[in-house]
Amino acid sequence: MNLFLKGGEVASENTAPARADVWIENGRIKAVGADLAEPEGARVVDVSGKIVMPGMFDAHVHFREPGGEHKETILDGSEAAINGGITGVVMMPNTSPSIDSATVVKRVLDAAKECRIPVLTSGCITVGRKGHEMAGIDGMKKAGVLMLTDDGDAVPDAALLKRAMEYGSEFGMFFASHCEEPQLAGPRALNEGAVSYRLGIEGTPALAEEISMSRDLALAHATGATLHIQHVSTAIGMEQIKWWRDERGAKVSGEVSPHHLMFTDEDIGDYDTHYKMNPPLRTAEANVALLEGLKNGAFRIIATDHAPHTEFEKSRAFEDAPNGISGLDTALVSLFDRFIDKGEFGWDLIVKRYSAEPRRMMELEVAEVAEGKIVDLIVFDPNGETTFTKEFMKSKSSNTPFLNKTLKGSVEMVVLGDEVLLER
Amino acid sequence: MSIALDQSAISTALSRLADQLFLDAGTDTIDLVGIRSRGDEVSERVAALLKEKGANVRLGVLDISLYRDDFEHLHENPLLQGSEIDFPIDGSRVILVDDVIFTGRTIRAALDAIFDYGRPAAVELAVLIDRGHRELPIEPRYVGVTLETDRLDHVRVGLMKTDGEDVVELTQK
Amino acid sequence: MARKDFLDIVSLDREEIIQLLDQAEPFKDLFTRSVKKVPALKGKTVLMLFYEPSTRTLSSFEVAAKRLSADVTTFDVPSSSVTKGESVRDTIDTLQAMRADYIVVRHGLSGQPAAIARQTGASVINAGDGAHAHPTQALLDAFTLREKFPEMEGKRVLITGDILHSRVARSTSTILRKLGVKVAFLGPGSLVPKTASPEIPRFTNYDQAIREFGPDAVYLLRIQKERMAAPFFPSDREYHNLYGITDERLRQLAGQGTYIMHPGPINRGVELCDAVLDYDRCLISQQVENGIAARMSVLYGLKPQTS
Repeated sequence: MNLFLKGGEVASENTAPARADVWIENGRIKAVGADLAEPEGARVVDVSGKIVMPGMFDAHVHFREPGGEHKETILDGSEAAINGGITGVVMMPNTSPSIDSATVVKRVLDAAKECRIPVLTSGCITVGRKGHEMAGIDGMKKAGVLMLTDDGDAVPDAALLKRAMEYGSEFGMFFASHCEEPQLAGPRALNEGAVSYRLGIEGTPALAEEISMSRDLALAHATGATLHIQHVSTAIGMEQIKWWRDERGAKVSGEVSPHHLMFTDEDIGDYDTHYKMNPPLRTAEANVALLEGLKNGAFRIIATDHAPHTEFEKSRAFEDAPNGISGLDTALVSLFDRFIDKGEFGWDLIVKRYSAEPRRMMELEVAEVAEGKIVDLIVFDPNGETTFTKEFMKSKSSNTPFLNKTLKGSVEMVVLGDEVLLER
Repeated sequence: MSIALDQSAISTALSRLADQLFLDAGTDTIDLVGIRSRGDEVSERVAALLKEKGANVRLGVLDISLYRDDFEHLHENPLLQGSEIDFPIDGSRVILVDDVIFTGRTIRAALDAIFDYGRPAAVELAVLIDRGHRELPIEPRYVGVTLETDRLDHVRVGLMKTDGEDVVELTQK
Repeated sequence: MARKDFLDIVSLDREEIIQLLDQAEPFKDLFTRSVKKVPALKGKTVLMLFYEPSTRTLSSFEVAAKRLSADVTTFDVPSSSVTKGESVRDTIDTLQAMRADYIVVRHGLSGQPAAIARQTGASVINAGDGAHAHPTQALLDAFTLREKFPEMEGKRVLITGDILHSRVARSTSTILRKLGVKVAFLGPGSLVPKTASPEIPRFTNYDQAIREFGPDAVYLLRIQKERMAAPFFPSDREYHNLYGITDERLRQLAGQGTYIMHPGPINRGVELCDAVLDYDRCLISQQVENGIAARMSVLYGLKPQTS
């Protein structure tokens, strides 16, 4: 393949987008620079006014294979990622069976071979995510797992988690926590506050996350383990991560999900299950605090927590409907629409937090639009728009508040190695 | 649209009703039950005329909303105002009063309603206007005035207390 | 255009509430006739779908529907097991096939009646869902209070007990406030959430509430043990001592001419002592009677989209 992207603005994690042409040949970036001569024989694509940047990387997705293929298969999920400008993902292990052994890891990664982008997986800390016995850490490591997490259920036994951290760290693995004190969390349907009172459903207080997080952070500090806190939804939680990291030198990091930056529990309105996820949507004040944290570096990465569920499942009564929001198709466009387009932050932040840092966390080579690099880039049109119809979305499920909404911005091209994965 | 009855014609019709009722009643108490809405005003005005003549009159109001046969076709169920009948229906000779008789369906509903209040000795019907085109075997005994109308014509009755003026308009379709 | 469903009080405006209350009056008048029935809903089918047992509310709706001449069927729901959402959807499809015009739903999950209403053209009436809403109870409460205070504006009602788990507290406080009544909550600190409403004063001490709020009516909630998985206060006895209407408190309320209301069923010796039931300003039985008129008013006011 010989491709010449002419007239675009190239974005990186450290600098604002700058005008440059990009010449791609045989899976490598041959040249990047302003006003390059059009190479002979190359297919020229005019990308004037568009952003050319590395592919995004989402370190928190729920593909439902094995066990929940009616919601999403690994292949469906990877196509949703491509549709959203994402060229790599890490699966969570809450499948059925759970990804808690080398055998299941191999099965998942075999299925992932069909995908057009790298699909990695995390593994469980305990067998079946039950919190009783340690999962086969050595086997999973050899099969390619780097991140250990019991996902939606925090390991209830602090002593067990401590031992797992002591043990697993020696394999060079790191831990990820979904923080929630189970007794305080209650039925896990929505945030505790005025909305939960009005709707008459027991809420999950911010406290449930804060308490659980403080335990896990202290454990990581004590054991020297590397700990990544997933989808932080509270300001106090975020501040705790910063404190342990900056004041105590703990090897800890945090992640924020687009929906926790954009929505609040008020959006639930009259039991709209599209706004039901865990951790729950909190308040407008939390939105502001988390956004500030994203800007000032409190969060290492952005990740969607892509959690597909069928229309039928989401049509059940609010308490009965499953938690989760589909995110891969919509994440980048919605972040552009809500924040970049409004001047809240720049493209450099997105590249750093949604492409470079998650790849570093997973010990992968960072994608860059720079001479000599392997091609891993997307073209984004800030003047375009995207309507998230069921037909448009590649995820098998469409449980998103953006369903049938039109947002500013459009992912126009995705190119990985020697292949154009998407071109609109 | 044309004016079918003006104020004086309505007044004449009311007097005619009162005269007929007075003539038939003799010295008996006259129990008038007006059907909401406008039948109640007709009955009040007839009652006033009868009292001038020295008759004994008892007055009640009947809300037939709950007895209508056309619920299905209404966008909104009619506003309930309730019935007010303070004398015993049992054994009484009830005179139902309405402004217009047309198909007879309103009176059918009123008969059902009145029988749920008790068992009258007899029920008679008095109307200000008979515009014809009955769909049920129901005929008024007392009529103020008869109007020749076509089946599809629209008759609008305005009465002083309810509508602010006495007028009957006929709109031909 | 008339509403299809009656799901909560929050979405009603003041005019709609007043119309429903006004319409309940002629229905109540009917109860003194020898024939208490009117043919308004003749030929219509009302289905009772109660996922939580409730003899009182179920009977009240049945009587209301029958006095409107509707055909009433109680759909037998297995109440022993926790009923899941999937089966509810399937049940509604079945009821659709039976061409029900009105479905009266009680369910343990907040929001379930609303979910059903979206699925069917039948009029759905919420007879209580989780801790969310109990709008017909609210309507009968407002009606009962209005009989005593035709000018409701500025009257004061102290709702007492388990506010946290109570759909009655939510719906009744909402309807009363829409009608200009001042509402305060009283109960144990663990059962009166601070997040309830910034405009509703919150008391945790009985004497202080009576003294500072000066209620015209005290509305006692049932202590709902079935909704409490974990303890919220030490014992029934302690609750009674702190918040129950004891003989002494009853004398004090009688002295002030304060009305007492309760949605039923009552727990004697917990929310109230036996003497309350003989108190001349105890409105519990009026509430029951008015419940039928209020529910007739609701049934009459809705417009199913079934034809």
